[in-house]
Amino acid sequence: MMFRLSSISGAALAGVCAASVFATTVTAQNAATDIGTLDKEAAEKAFPAKPPYSPYAERNFPTRPYFGDTHTHTSYSMDAGAFGARLGPKDAYRFAKGEEVIASSGQRAKLSRPLDFLVVTDHSDGMGFFPQLIGGDPGLLATPQGRKWYDEINSGKGAQAAIDIITSFGKGQLPKGFPTPGTPAYRSAWRETIKAAEEANEPGRFTAFIGYEWTSNAAGNNLHRNVIWRDNGAKASLVEPFTTQPPLGSPNPRDLWKWMAMCEEKTGAEILALAHNGNLSNGRMFPIIESFNGKRIDREYAENRMRWEPLYEATQIKGDGETHPFLSPNDEFANFERWDKGNLDLTEVKKPEMLEFEYTRSALRNGLKMEAELGVNPYKFGLVGSTDAHTALSAVEEDNFFGKTSSSEPSADRATHPFVKSEKGVIMGWEQTASGYAAVWAAENTREAIFDAMKRRETYATTGPRMVVRFFGGWDFEAADANQRMPARIGYTKGVPMGGDLNNAPGGKSPTFLVAALKDPIGANLDRIQVIKGWLAKDGQTQERIYDVAVSGGRKIDADGRSRTSVGNTVDIANATWTNSIGAGEMITVWKDPDFDPALRSFYYLRVIEIPTPRWTAYDAKYFGIKMPAEAAMTTTERAYTSPIWYTP
Amino acid sequence: MTIRLLREPLLQFLVLGAILFALYGLVDKRSAEPSEKIVVSASRITNLADGFARTWRRPPSEEELRGLIENDIRDEVFYRAGRAAGLDRDDVVIRRRVRQKMEFLAEEISVPEATEAQLADFLSSNPERFRTEDRLTFHQLFLNPSRRTDTIARDVEQVRTVLSRGDATTDTAGLGDPFLLGEEFHAVSLRDTAGTFGDSFARQVFSAEQGRWLGPIPSSFGQHFIYIRERTTGSVPPLDTIRPAVARQWADARRTEAEQKLYRSLRDRYEITVEAMPTQAVLVARP
Repeated sequence: MMFRLSSISGAALAGVCAASVFATTVTAQNAATDIGTLDKEAAEKAFPAKPPYSPYAERNFPTRPYFGDTHTHTSYSMDAGAFGARLGPKDAYRFAKGEEVIASSGQRAKLSRPLDFLVVTDHSDGMGFFPQLIGGDPGLLATPQGRKWYDEINSGKGAQAAIDIITSFGKGQLPKGFPTPGTPAYRSAWRETIKAAEEANEPGRFTAFIGYEWTSNAAGNNLHRNVIWRDNGAKASLVEPFTTQPPLGSPNPRDLWKWMAMCEEKTGAEILALAHNGNLSNGRMFPIIESFNGKRIDREYAENRMRWEPLYEATQIKGDGETHPFLSPNDEFANFERWDKGNLDLTEVKKPEMLEFEYTRSALRNGLKMEAELGVNPYKFGLVGSTDAHTALSAVEEDNFFGKTSSSEPSADRATHPFVKSEKGVIMGWEQTASGYAAVWAAENTREAIFDAMKRRETYATTGPRMVVRFFGGWDFEAADANQRMPARIGYTKGVPMGGDLNNAPGGKSPTFLVAALKDPIGANLDRIQVIKGWLAKDGQTQERIYDVAVSGGRKIDADGRSRTSVGNTVDIANATWTNSIGAGEMITVWKDPDFDPALRSFYYLRVIEIPTPRWTAYDAKYFGIKMPAEAAMTTTERAYTSPIWYTP
Repeated sequence: MTIRLLREPLLQFLVLGAILFALYGLVDKRSAEPSEKIVVSASRITNLADGFARTWRRPPSEEELRGLIENDIRDEVFYRAGRAAGLDRDDVVIRRRVRQKMEFLAEEISVPEATEAQLADFLSSNPERFRTEDRLTFHQLFLNPSRRTDTIARDVEQVRTVLSRGDATTDTAGLGDPFLLGEEFHAVSLRDTAGTFGDSFARQVFSAEQGRWLGPIPSSFGQHFIYIRERTTGSVPPLDTIRPAVARQWADARRTEAEQKLYRSLRDRYEITVEAMPTQAVLVARP
């Protein structure tokens, strides 16, 4: 039986190799041949007289991904408070650990399964503004703005007040009396934040990071960054968070990086920052021309950005940021959870020329261009997803979505209620995206191990489901590696994991990749795995291309590396159900770049697509017995994006 | 009724007008009278400078400090004028903040260092809070239904027959299919196992006995046979090894208690009357 098995899978491999130059796919589906029967001979083979066969006892590489959220707000955030959030950091950690809590809207809330880690990231500006505080300053209410917000909140228009707070914040028009670092109110909020993380942190079981959000929002354009500590409270409490409002703070990321350098130098801590929602930055998130001085970014900018920002949050409730149909016209999966009407507060509408400087893929491309020019790639970042929930609840499963704010926690009218509204446009409640989580390949569940994995970018983004995704690049992967008992071992031995670098191409060789994905154990099957390649062509222009490298259901991958047959759709929208009768549970393959030019800078990342499933709007419609607006999407295709592997000549 | 009245735009307008009127009146009066003093004391200036230093880990420059002082004066001016105009009264935000302040104060009630006996007592009366998780080390043989479309049932039967004679030394290498996360699972908890294979699978594995092949156990990936090599039963560690965690939880419990007590004692000072709920205020359950 053993002999028969190996000979048959060999044949299967050969067949598949012949079928496609591009993808030596041995997905579960494709290899679904008769692999023989167990007979007496095979049974005897199963009992050799030798020691236990356990070659992996001493392995020291990450063996499972940890899932978490690097971005959750609580009532300590000014806008969350205005929207009605009443749960604080402690509640956020309890919820992430899988405990049941009572949401701010009074409903019971619980995750399907615990997360492995969480960073509570309340806004540094006005931290503790809303509900908190010890030594608070009621002078706020003596301002016309404070008064107006108070009246609005008092008359049940909290959401309107919150939008106004965000807008005023974006315009730098906050009332005096706003908590700033150094005031007792502020210090107390920061201390409570640290305390909540210290208490929730359980090395080996659950990691509670200390962090905050630096909410730079110059003129309503989102340049937000979350800052995360590797260290414990003793070091974090030596400083107070960097804010964006002068005189203490600044909205310019260069000043944040200066503050981070100061923080590391003076306190001995190790910290990192990750940005999010370039889609709401109106062309300023990944600049070539800096918005603050109108100059082309220089080497100093590039070095600092690369040093301090190893990751980017590519997907979250305020839309998906992988790419945009305008930027990737040949990408049929690009039109996904788009938020492209304007900037964060919709005070300025979007123009197409802004998009290039907002999305992950185009930023990775422009990074190659900047590297050729400056010698440093400012946009060499890995990918995670996170929620940005302002409810203290990291709940982004489609059937368990607690919305962006406490006012958009489950209710019959949350989908039809405007989420942001200005004279320039409106974003409706149903447009919120139930996304995403951060997956990190760390050796153990501790602050140190997860932080270090983030620094080396061994991470991927998911839009909610917890699929397992492996991605290794090297020069010597061969088709048989996909049939190894423990793919990770061969991956780490022969190559570098996601987030890594390839260079020194051996003569005549093209990069090869070990690519694998396993569905979420309680989620939907997988449609396909794609490699997204970007490169800097000889003419100095960047390019991108998509390869389908593993597809389910025995579909054909054409000579151009694409599979154009859809996986199908089993979603019953009225009942909010689907079946795993299509797609594959597991896919693994070895792929070799058929178009490799060793002289050109390039990057490769994976996109794993699930089969269609009901979107949260379908679950809402079913539960509340309501009809969604015709324009509301009712199905979704969840996905994962890995950190890239870069090739540098 | 009162509430509805307050929501009337006209009334809001009138109230707002009255406030503005009062405010302007105040300003006028102030300009006529000798002014109230605002003193930015040396210690206040030190506070401001300290605040700056906590962000930047360096003292402010003279110019920066002047800016901070100017800002502080502005705060104070508006704060006093606003209070004088009564803007702080009947204000939800302020009410809530004052409540929070009280709660924080209660929480800040300094909890004395716990004695050894208190910690030991706390541990023995709350053992479940500190119990370590059960952990299993097992290996698996996986049969992937999509690689065995037509033969899965037969293969499962045959593997079961083979493994019924098996033990830890059984070489299963050629019997099963590859699984992305491998075959060996070392010292994993119920929660880890559920995260990888799903809930019902994890429960079955954790309730199974050690030292023989078990299965098939289904998961959403396919059929698994597992062999448990080692089981570590969770236990309550001795106080010595977990003292900081016990001390933290002890202090937390004391604080919660103190807060409850404070609330009770404050509440007892009032005679509280709640009127009957108006029927229209109550949500009628859907049939």
